[in-house]
Amino acid sequence: MSVPRLDFDDLAGGYGTTEVVHGISGAAAAGQVLCIVGRNGVGKSSLIRMLSGHLPAWRGTVRLEGRAVTDLPPAGRRRLGISYCPQERPVFDDLTVRDNLILMRRDRSLDGFAPFIGRFPVLERRLDQQAGTMSGGEKKILSFARGLAEMTPLVLLDEPSEGVQWENILHMADLIRERRAAGTTFVVVEQNLAFAERIADRYLVLDQGRVVLEGPRSAIDRAALLPRLHV
Amino acid sequence: MRASLLLLGVVVALPFAAGDYWAYQIGLYFLYAAAATGLGLCWGGAGFLPLGQALFFGLAAYLAGFLMIRFEGWGPALLPVAVLAPALAGWAIGLAVFRRRGESGPYFSLITLALALLAYQIAINWNAVTGGFEGMKGIPGLPGLDDYTAGYYVAAAGLVTAIAIAAWLRAAPIGVLWRALAQNERRVQLLGFDTNRLKAAAFAASGLLAGIGGTLYAPQQGIVAPQLVGFELSAALVIWTAVGGRAALLGPAIGTIVVGSLGAELRDRVPGWEVLMAVFFIAVVIVLPQGLAGLAGRFPTPSRNGRRRSAIAAPARQLAGTAALTVENAEVRAGSVRILDRLSIAFDRPGIFCLIGPNGAGKTTTFNLLSGELKPAEGRVALGGRDIRTLAPHHLARAGIGRKLQIPSVFPDLGIADHLAIALWSGRTGVADLLRPRLHRWTSPMSIELQRRYPFLGDDRTAAELSHGERQILELAMAMVTEPRILLLDEPCAGLSPEETAEVIRLIRWAAGRLGNTIVIIEHDMALVRELAQSVHVLHSGSLLASGDIATIQANPAVRAVYVGAEK
Amino acid sequence: MDPILVTQGLNLVFAVAVLAVLALGLAVVFGLLGVLNLAHGEFIMVGAYCAWATTAAGLPYVAAIPLAIAVCGGLGLTVERWLIRPLYRRPFDTLVATWGLSLLLRKAAEAAFGLSFRNVAMPLPGTVRVLGTDYPGYRLLLIAISAAIVGGLMLWYRRSRTGLRIRAMVGNPDLAQAVGIRATRLAAGTFAAGTCLAGLGGVMIAPLVPLQPLMGLDFVLRSFFALVIGGLGSAVGLFAGSAVIGGVDSLVSALLDATWGYFAVLVVAILFLWRRPGGLFAR
Repeated sequence: MSVPRLDFDDLAGGYGTTEVVHGISGAAAAGQVLCIVGRNGVGKSSLIRMLSGHLPAWRGTVRLEGRAVTDLPPAGRRRLGISYCPQERPVFDDLTVRDNLILMRRDRSLDGFAPFIGRFPVLERRLDQQAGTMSGGEKKILSFARGLAEMTPLVLLDEPSEGVQWENILHMADLIRERRAAGTTFVVVEQNLAFAERIADRYLVLDQGRVVLEGPRSAIDRAALLPRLHV
Repeated sequence: MRASLLLLGVVVALPFAAGDYWAYQIGLYFLYAAAATGLGLCWGGAGFLPLGQALFFGLAAYLAGFLMIRFEGWGPALLPVAVLAPALAGWAIGLAVFRRRGESGPYFSLITLALALLAYQIAINWNAVTGGFEGMKGIPGLPGLDDYTAGYYVAAAGLVTAIAIAAWLRAAPIGVLWRALAQNERRVQLLGFDTNRLKAAAFAASGLLAGIGGTLYAPQQGIVAPQLVGFELSAALVIWTAVGGRAALLGPAIGTIVVGSLGAELRDRVPGWEVLMAVFFIAVVIVLPQGLAGLAGRFPTPSRNGRRRSAIAAPARQLAGTAALTVENAEVRAGSVRILDRLSIAFDRPGIFCLIGPNGAGKTTTFNLLSGELKPAEGRVALGGRDIRTLAPHHLARAGIGRKLQIPSVFPDLGIADHLAIALWSGRTGVADLLRPRLHRWTSPMSIELQRRYPFLGDDRTAAELSHGERQILELAMAMVTEPRILLLDEPCAGLSPEETAEVIRLIRWAAGRLGNTIVIIEHDMALVRELAQSVHVLHSGSLLASGDIATIQANPAVRAVYVGAEK
Repeated sequence: MDPILVTQGLNLVFAVAVLAVLALGLAVVFGLLGVLNLAHGEFIMVGAYCAWATTAAGLPYVAAIPLAIAVCGGLGLTVERWLIRPLYRRPFDTLVATWGLSLLLRKAAEAAFGLSFRNVAMPLPGTVRVLGTDYPGYRLLLIAISAAIVGGLMLWYRRSRTGLRIRAMVGNPDLAQAVGIRATRLAAGTFAAGTCLAGLGGVMIAPLVPLQPLMGLDFVLRSFFALVIGGLGSAVGLFAGSAVIGGVDSLVSALLDATWGYFAVLVVAILFLWRRPGGLFAR
């Protein structure tokens, strides 16, 4: 039996003394996109922040390629190959768009960003402006480009489409599918069902900090998801 | 109480046990201890740290010396002026700085330090009055009290007075409000209290206590030197207070007397004594923030619950006029991003409104606008037709706008009873009322009914010991006890179990009926919205997308598109 | 040109330049880490005593530079690890803790060197002729060095990769962690850089002032005032703040006397803290 790229087991955690995630397990193989969906405030962001290391797990384990990373801080997980694009404050506002992209590159070049700049011309147009002057959706695009270009085996995306125009959401879906074909694993928290349906291999549906529905995309259609979402 | 009597006995007996001269020496530290007790009120109580407290002590000492010399015979009768002057100075400085700065962090601390240094410069240069570097000499003693033992007892009386005042203030409503604002200043403002004035009052009280010490210092020592207003004494007061325990009533005084007099004895005998003291001080800051008093077990703050023998009915809230809350064409920007985009919305009748919308739609921003924490760049916000854009949050709270924040923000170290008492005082008290301990006994029909519905509200626990659900209920209860005309609730059910959620829904419904007011709720859970809302407003990208009853909203294609993320 | 005017003008430039370099370390630590290091002045004092020890040992004056960097850097790293790191995001406790540290360093210096004043011999005696006036060469050298240090550091911060990462860490610590920046190490390095700068400042001014364990208090306050007035974050602000504080001091001292100069500095600083806490350039 092969080891999954990512697996997490009985994860629980929260803020202060309040537990908001109550023991969630899941896994994603190489080249799989796992979409986490559910209403606001059901623990989706908390779960992905436990995978990235930004929220300490009170119990449970996170494993990358079978190796436990639960005790590693975010920077340590990044070094092992986990990229993360947060939902809030997704870019460095005080840095230029270019500096946001090349921050961690030894050679400070924009090599490797061509697919992103090609699809999102806004990045090139605003390359030398402060990222803080961008709109929410533009920041999401910048964050998305930065995260995917890190070329890690596992990418965590927290609501990448929030505030992004539909045509750019479609570009995001294309880029995710390209990388998936090359074997990259994605965990995506998403509210936009139309987007989720385009990328997901599997769904993990949460409510009240617990998994209420789980399975491959083919088994869960929109009619099954909608009652778990907003209206 | 028994411990206090015991201490008092030790103080009275000391001259007999230790001898007159020693007692006299310790008496000097009694005077400093009065100033340290005031520092404790600010730092351990209201949560801001004045670094130049010698300013008050020295000011009083110079003034007392001046009065004693200039008005011989009359001098002693005029001494209250010297006691009160630092209190007035503290009030003025506090108001000026807090009003201006709002915050009370490092900037305030450094302003007070700079003021002390400024006073030192004045003291050494204003020869004609202060005697310059040499100090003000030849101050006559208090008539009939000029031997060592009498000097000691005068100092002891001064300290006891200072501690009694501090004890009174800590037990009075104002003391509870100080501790509350140290933990969560925003919450206290949203409950209708002008926290800047409260902090200035704490600073004034610290001036008064330092004034007692300084005033008695001048006739006792016969000389007032510039060092008394300068850096060294300021620094020493901070250290003594920290080591003794800033949050305990007696901590600062004990720290001063123990460390100060030990230091005077050991400084010359133990090499490196002061280095040791500095290391000890740092250790206290890092590992023992409550000082020696923390070692002796936390000085329990007296519980109000046990003491509420006879309840007193709180006066009814006097709120007149209609309560329509309207926003017209409001614009709020952060940088280049428009958070509210010409938003117009009205809550113009009693009942439960729900405010929904995707993340970033501007819901919490709208609440900040309504509670006065945020001012629109353009547009108008009005309550009952009156423009409220210029009013501070505490004014709006007094005008009847109550708010519960998204994250339960109670005061972790305060008891449940204190929380409800603060809510009862909100909008029902004047400045002088805050000095009357009997206000702890206030109840209202609302508070009694709430306690009957939720028996845990009568518990003797602090907010930190409550579960998340209980904290949400406590916050809601506080908001309801203030009996607002408009109640803003930001996600009141976030993080609650289904049972707790059901309980909160019952509570909100009950309150809406009981108060007959307007309740506005930000909510994500449509099931909840369906249960609660009489009317729904949908925000999207900072403006109003749709309004109406729940069926209308759910049938609205634009709303569905926003939520499902339809392909457009 | 009037020689007195030239001398006074150079004195003013000198006062501003020296204050800027003394405030720089405080600006780095306060501006980047949000830690108001009240012991900053004591690190200046330690640097000055390093200069004294160097000359007392008969070594050339420049040897004081590596010594001060080693001592202040080592102290800075130790202090960051044991005193600052446990207290990040608790600005109040850091304030009190560094206040305690300043006391410790002062009392330690007192125990080691006593309270008496010491002097360090001028490493570069003699004067240089400027615009028809003789002006001390060492002071001119300091003006140049100060400008170079402040300008160089600001340039490095704007341009270098480490500078970029520090800015990233300060602006968005969570995201910085996510992209793999080791924040703990970077913060420790930044704090130590601040204390090293203080030490360097101490070496620079040692020959010009009487050395005494209490000397730091005045420096930390002036540095802080300069930061408050200039605002944090730019070389221009730092120089502007230093210019206001240094300028007021020089001007009033020249017109009246040094005490009044000091008095005026305090009054101006209090006015700024009170009325314009964001500094000269705040909106």
